[in-house]
Amino acid sequence: MAVLELSNISKSYGRIQALKNLSFDVPEGSVFGVLGPNGSGKTTLLSIILDVLKADTGNFLWFGQPGSPDMRKQIGSLLETPNFYHYLSAVNNLKITQSISGRGDNGAIDDVLGKVNLLERKKSRFSSYSLGMKQRLAIGAALLGNPKVLVLDEPTNGLDPVGIVEIRELIRGLNKKGFTIIIASHLLDEVEKICTHVAILKKGELITHGSVDDVLVDEDIIEISCTDPLKLKIILFEYPGMTKIETDGKFLYLHFPKGSAMPEDINQFCFNNGINLNHLLHKKKRLEARFFELTGN
Amino acid sequence: MMNVLKTEWLKIKSYPAFWGVMAMTALSYPGINYIWWNIYLEVVAKQNATGKIAKMLLGNPFAYPETFHTTAYFSSFFVFIPAIVVIMLITNEYTYKTHRQNIIDGWSRNQFLISKFFDVLIITLMVTLLYFFIAIIVGIIASGKSDVSMWSQSRYVVFFALQTFSQLSIAFLIGFLVRKSFIALSIFVFYFIIVENIIVGYSKVKLNDIGKFMPLEISDRLIPVPQFVGRFDEKAYQASLNAVNLHIFLTFLVIALVWGVCYYTNKKRDL
Repeated sequence: MAVLELSNISKSYGRIQALKNLSFDVPEGSVFGVLGPNGSGKTTLLSIILDVLKADTGNFLWFGQPGSPDMRKQIGSLLETPNFYHYLSAVNNLKITQSISGRGDNGAIDDVLGKVNLLERKKSRFSSYSLGMKQRLAIGAALLGNPKVLVLDEPTNGLDPVGIVEIRELIRGLNKKGFTIIIASHLLDEVEKICTHVAILKKGELITHGSVDDVLVDEDIIEISCTDPLKLKIILFEYPGMTKIETDGKFLYLHFPKGSAMPEDINQFCFNNGINLNHLLHKKKRLEARFFELTGN
Repeated sequence: MMNVLKTEWLKIKSYPAFWGVMAMTALSYPGINYIWWNIYLEVVAKQNATGKIAKMLLGNPFAYPETFHTTAYFSSFFVFIPAIVVIMLITNEYTYKTHRQNIIDGWSRNQFLISKFFDVLIITLMVTLLYFFIAIIVGIIASGKSDVSMWSQSRYVVFFALQTFSQLSIAFLIGFLVRKSFIALSIFVFYFIIVENIIVGYSKVKLNDIGKFMPLEISDRLIPVPQFVGRFDEKAYQASLNAVNLHIFLTFLVIALVWGVCYYTNKKRDL
């Protein structure tokens, strides 16, 4: 079942078209990454599904229902920047979140402040927080009352490396419990580590979407090496079905159409030609490389 | 509704600037009445002929029942102080982008606007209560006694509340449309103190008093000059009293217009 269904969403700011006919579904239980360069429309998209912006055309459904205030109460969200009352403490800010959303009981505030390591500073004013602490408070607010769906826009913004790892583990943990998490980010390394599905945007257009494996794997790449790479390269020119062969230092990269590479056959072929491989790996393309291919950057 | 009120209370109760400006209001309202009362006492205390004539002309404007009218008139000079709070409460939401967060967390756009309507209403009630206590206390001290006619001018409590709500609503509209606190405050104070007074004053002389239809002047005329000032020109004073009913209607119209514009804008614009 889809947690969120988007159909033909378009949005313009004057002459600039921020989103063009976007349609895709977010499956339940997924960690869904919305990727794209700056200005690709990620935040606009999240703003529309959270009813901060109105789409010019198209519609979206949460759990099969049109978006509504009651629906938003069940979704923990962090949009763009941490938005809190600067003169209030973390606890008092979360009391407002709790009052509006109705999420969580009395103990829930301390619980989420503990999860994001702000318990010791819970009575400090928001204005006295560092950027990282503000971001952690915003994540805490999104987690309040354990909503089954989280929408997080650049959740690791401003966090130090330890904070980034903590948030990554938190997201993984929540996903294991069956939560659905929608993340917009340009940190491809982070997204690759945690996302099960991605949608890639460029200038408001949906370039591709689907499971990470489907999006990343457009071909098979076999990484091999031996003591005599030159000889290896020469004999591999006769290997059938290969589209391309590349060399990078002591490694050779053999490219095949998606789903056609057979590592054991390659190993056998080399052995039959008098070469013993000392390294053989069925390699997945990095998200970063695929992203640049798709977005043409 | 209770949830909206409770949430607004959570925003306000720990906001030092709110209590600071309300404290300024609590000092300025009795302050202006105290100053005028002292001026009155000094004038009538004179044992010469001037003092006697003044006492005869002025009567006792701070005694019952006139205290409700007199203190309402002087207190209304300072409505720009609570207006600062009203403007801060709405522009803060835009500065901190908490208006978006309120919607994201589950309020409808209408609930957000209703929450701000309550802010203006609560501040109006606080200010009216303050004025009411001042009127009562000043009345007790100045009259030295009370009688059945002491409440005969208590309608000014309602007029004061209506005037305050109308003028604070206009302040809210400016904050709501402009979104930047400093610019909104500057526009309101400049308009309140200078622009409208010039237009109203000029129109009285040159434009057949058309300035009475200016947004703030409409509700200003709910509380005409105090009775003792009216004695200097009985005809004009009576005309201003006769016009109150029209200005009640016009004040309600301004309030409806202001909140109508807010409702329409809030519904249409992106957050």
